[in-house]
Amino acid sequence: MSAVDSTSHEKWEQGMMTELLEQVRRMAADVLQVPENRITPQSSPDTTENWDSVHHLDLVLALEQAFNVQFEPEEIDQMKSIGQIVEVLESKLKQPR
Amino acid sequence: MTIGIEPYRQEFISAVKCFNARLDGGGAPAEFRFPQHHLPEWLPRRNGEPLYQEYFLALENGAVRGGYILKYQEFFVRGELKNVAYYHLPLSEGIVNKAYASVGAHMLRHALKAQPLLFALGMGGFDRPLPRMLKAMGWSMCAVPFYFQVNRPTRFLREVHALRNTAWRRCVLDLAALTGTGWLGLTVLQVLHRQHPKAGTQVATVDEFTGWADDLVENCRKRYVMLARRDQKNLNLLYPRRSKFLRLRVSRAGKVLGWAVLLDTQMKDHRYFGNLRVGTIVDTLALPEDALPVISAASQFLQQRGTDMVVSNQSHETWCAALKSAGFLRGPSNFIFAASQALSGCLRPFATNCTKIHFNRGDGDGPINL
Repeated sequence: MSAVDSTSHEKWEQGMMTELLEQVRRMAADVLQVPENRITPQSSPDTTENWDSVHHLDLVLALEQAFNVQFEPEEIDQMKSIGQIVEVLESKLKQPR
Repeated sequence: MTIGIEPYRQEFISAVKCFNARLDGGGAPAEFRFPQHHLPEWLPRRNGEPLYQEYFLALENGAVRGGYILKYQEFFVRGELKNVAYYHLPLSEGIVNKAYASVGAHMLRHALKAQPLLFALGMGGFDRPLPRMLKAMGWSMCAVPFYFQVNRPTRFLREVHALRNTAWRRCVLDLAALTGTGWLGLTVLQVLHRQHPKAGTQVATVDEFTGWADDLVENCRKRYVMLARRDQKNLNLLYPRRSKFLRLRVSRAGKVLGWAVLLDTQMKDHRYFGNLRVGTIVDTLALPEDALPVISAASQFLQQRGTDMVVSNQSHETWCAALKSAGFLRGPSNFIFAASQALSGCLRPFATNCTKIHFNRGDGDGPINL
């Protein structure tokens, strides 16, 4: 891959990541019933009032349905904030299915 | 730090004690404590036995963040023997520290991966966190009907905490007890539907289950859509000889019709039963058409022992009808049966078949909560 290709690939990946983050934010806002503008990559159960164990599972299941994936128990455990959810989801989507 | 799930070993006992202390400090209800010994007192694993309990812990760098119990047991599902597990006492640090909100889902997924044929029982009502999680995971659920019979109406009206939850209700119930209208009302209600089973029933208390229990479960296996393998070996493990359980064998003309396992418990400031002496029909088995003589024998036995009331949860429609015919009244049930997707697939159509499965308190967590 040339330097130009590499840069454009990084930009493409960044764009995908941003898009993924936006999708996850929208879904989290819907599941947790909080305004979307209050969901940031740093949002976590500690900082979001409605985010309890039941809503966490609701969010995981909503993501699985929307992206047609199934998370392993260990992956669910890594989802401790919106940013981490996006990371886990991104790596899941890259895996061959 | 990632969390891993491992079987509970001796080396984790002190970490479990710290976990329980954090739950305690965080204000979790007293019943939300994980066992502080790695080997179950009731139903420990024995060589090759299919009926046993296993404890699991969610561990984060040596600290316990959650735990759950699986009780493995053989069930006849549509007459065929299958290994099924009961998922119980799932506890997560998430209930006192939201940083661990993911632990509950992690443990449930872990249990399902190990044993897809899972069920949960009890749980305190559909609105509690566990049933809500199970519902989200696509589990099928139904309430196991609750029935009660009042033997001493005056004591019942004065003691039953479940009904005496407001000042107004306490006043009405005290008045009903004082004037005798409560006694009259309850007696009329209970006598209204009462039917007497055929004469000639013999009732015997037994110290243990023997070969007749094997014959009975063999005759019953295809008569219930789902039924735990209640043979003599399993029954003697579930209700050991030197335990508080009372065992009745009910026969007619020398033929065993069925059996019942009972409890007679003096409650002390119980949140539902106050200080009542409560008889429980914990577990039963008979062909569906023989449910009434078994229920009648069990309730009469507990009444003669001096209990204030008798209670039972039964899922099967014929057992519910037998309770009603024996003079029991139906109360609200918070005793929920939940079947995983794989298990409810075996019970399809679930909505119809949840009244054709044989579940009661005997399928739950045994000596706890009884």
